[in-house]
Amino acid sequence: MPARRVLYFTAEDHYVYRCSRRSIELEARFSGDDLGVTEFREYLRGRKGALFSVVADLAGEDFHEDQIPFLRGSDRDAVLQRRLATRYRDTRLAAALSLGLITTGERRNERLLLASFTNTQQLAPWLDALEEAGARLAGVYSAPLVAPALAARLGARGGRTILVTANRAGLRQSFIEDGRLRFARLERTVEMVPQALAMFVRSETLRMTQYLATLRALPRDGSPLQVIVVAPRGQRAAFEQALASDTRLAFLTVDGAEAAAAIGLKQAPEASGAEALYVHLAARKPPREQFASRDDRRRYVLWRLQRGLVAAGLAGFAACGLYAGAKWLDASDVRARAAAQRAAAQAAAQQYERITAAFPVTHTTTDNLKATVVEFTRIAERSGSPEAAFAHVSRVLEKFPQFEIETLDWGVGRPDERREKPPAAGAKPAAGSDAAMRVELAGRIHATQRDDYRGITANVQRFAEALAVDGYELVRTQLPFDITSEGTLTGDIGAGQDRSEAPRFTVTLVRRLP
Amino acid sequence: MTFSREELRQLAIPALIALALLGGGAALIRMADQAVRVAQRDLGAAQSLRQQNADKLARIAEEEREVKQKLDVYARLKNLNILGEERRLEWADTIARIRTQRELLDLRYRVERQRLIASVPGKPANVDFYASPMRVELALLHEEDLVRFLADLRASGNAYYAVRRCVLTRTGQAAGSGAVMAPRLNGQCEIDLITIMDRAAKR
Repeated sequence: MPARRVLYFTAEDHYVYRCSRRSIELEARFSGDDLGVTEFREYLRGRKGALFSVVADLAGEDFHEDQIPFLRGSDRDAVLQRRLATRYRDTRLAAALSLGLITTGERRNERLLLASFTNTQQLAPWLDALEEAGARLAGVYSAPLVAPALAARLGARGGRTILVTANRAGLRQSFIEDGRLRFARLERTVEMVPQALAMFVRSETLRMTQYLATLRALPRDGSPLQVIVVAPRGQRAAFEQALASDTRLAFLTVDGAEAAAAIGLKQAPEASGAEALYVHLAARKPPREQFASRDDRRRYVLWRLQRGLVAAGLAGFAACGLYAGAKWLDASDVRARAAAQRAAAQAAAQQYERITAAFPVTHTTTDNLKATVVEFTRIAERSGSPEAAFAHVSRVLEKFPQFEIETLDWGVGRPDERREKPPAAGAKPAAGSDAAMRVELAGRIHATQRDDYRGITANVQRFAEALAVDGYELVRTQLPFDITSEGTLTGDIGAGQDRSEAPRFTVTLVRRLP
Repeated sequence: MTFSREELRQLAIPALIALALLGGGAALIRMADQAVRVAQRDLGAAQSLRQQNADKLARIAEEEREVKQKLDVYARLKNLNILGEERRLEWADTIARIRTQRELLDLRYRVERQRLIASVPGKPANVDFYASPMRVELALLHEEDLVRFLADLRASGNAYYAVRRCVLTRTGQAAGSGAVMAPRLNGQCEIDLITIMDRAAKR
């Protein structure tokens, strides 16, 4: 960051301050005559490209309030230039400060404060010297232009405020309304004791308020006007004693050291007055409005553009760097995830290798092993075993001693024979029930009269029902006579029959294979 | 504000620096993008590889479980000589041995020619299931003789004995009614002697 220099310009002497972030130091002092200009030119030799601002603290500063139609852009600039040219003979150091908009009837106007120096010629040789030396002029300010920023830092509330400072050039009074400069004056001072200076401040402030009231810039009856007075270092007590507030003026006295601290100025030359505050603010926080023309500031604007371009490039690079950094972080995260996935894949592959290495010896291919076992299991499931059926029949026969079995026919086949009893409605067929064991029992029933159809039927039915358990289903029962509606029922009761032959029966059961 | 040629020349170097910086920034972004793309490609490949390996692992684990289950059955089939060529001589020996051991009064059998009952696709060759139908006729003192005969037959191996039909018929009076031990039951069974030909099996 190049050092900024501020040329503090008074009616008698001019001072060059070198400003850093929190301090200013007096670098040179020049007299206001031609010799001073020559010395200034010598001073500027070898300082080509140095950054300069000018803070003029002169008595002859004109302020004139005006109005223009509300305009923007180049139209506004043209109107302003015309107004300034009308008001001032030399517009090289003239400025138009906006005071806001007002509406009169249907028109919207912009209030302006036109400001310039009554004698710009005293500044011209110095500005020319800067131009010739190739210095970069950031702006030409007057102490009143910087005053609103200083007042704000010193605690000025909104509304009307008079800021009073004791500068090298004299007693500077700036009238600020709603944060905007309205009027200022400089009264020359001589060496005097603090009490006298304070009394001088009071009397000059009263004069100024009377003047402002005359201009109707102040209401005749209203709340007390706030007056912020920056007392020279160590003289605050004397000032506060002299500057008692009353119904018209409310004084707020700030010590010079406190004021410097309030604006971030830690170090200033011992001999400097309150101008150090204006110089520091002009260097660090310059106001937007200033007096120098575009041509005078051309080098500075160019320098700002150069720096702006590089700064924009740096900002773009930084933004790109940040974005790229975020992307790199993304990439790093994705790489970490990929590494985790690869590790998982490798672990799975190793486990696969372990399993295949320890795979049991099969003596055949895996496909044939599976095919063999699956088909064999299917065949085995469809194969039945007569032993269980024999055992089941034996258990039931023990409960029916009157039944004698002559033939037991066991077989495996499809359960396609007609059932005597249809399955219950809604009953689900057993799964895999396309093969079944079939058991057909044929025999005789003893201890029942051959002509006791009802008794025979009941006994055979009980026997068949006893058999039709544990998964066995009754398919058919055959009696020695036909009691169905489709058949023929015969009877030979009393004679003609061999009474010793027991009635025959047949019971057929099925049991589905799994 | 218009600039002179000299002023434009003075602005050129900062403008070039700014452009270079922006270009550098763009290059950084491009490199980062490229890195992200490469990393995402790697991630995709790694995910795919992990999925493939996980699938393979799941398949092999399932296959291992299945093979372990089935291998038991296969080994038993092999040990019982159900796998391989049919062994008619062994069958004849077995039936003769059972008749002697169980003191069966009369036992006749007839084994028909072998027939293919199923051919299951496998790798590298099909697995063929053959059945040799056998008809057995036994003279029995008690139905328990038939049960024991079937149990002995199964225990002998050399085939899977799938009993298709058994008919027990009473032929005489209960034992003990006469001095001579005469059969009182006749048993007739049809049994499929099933053997399996796995042509991929190691001998």
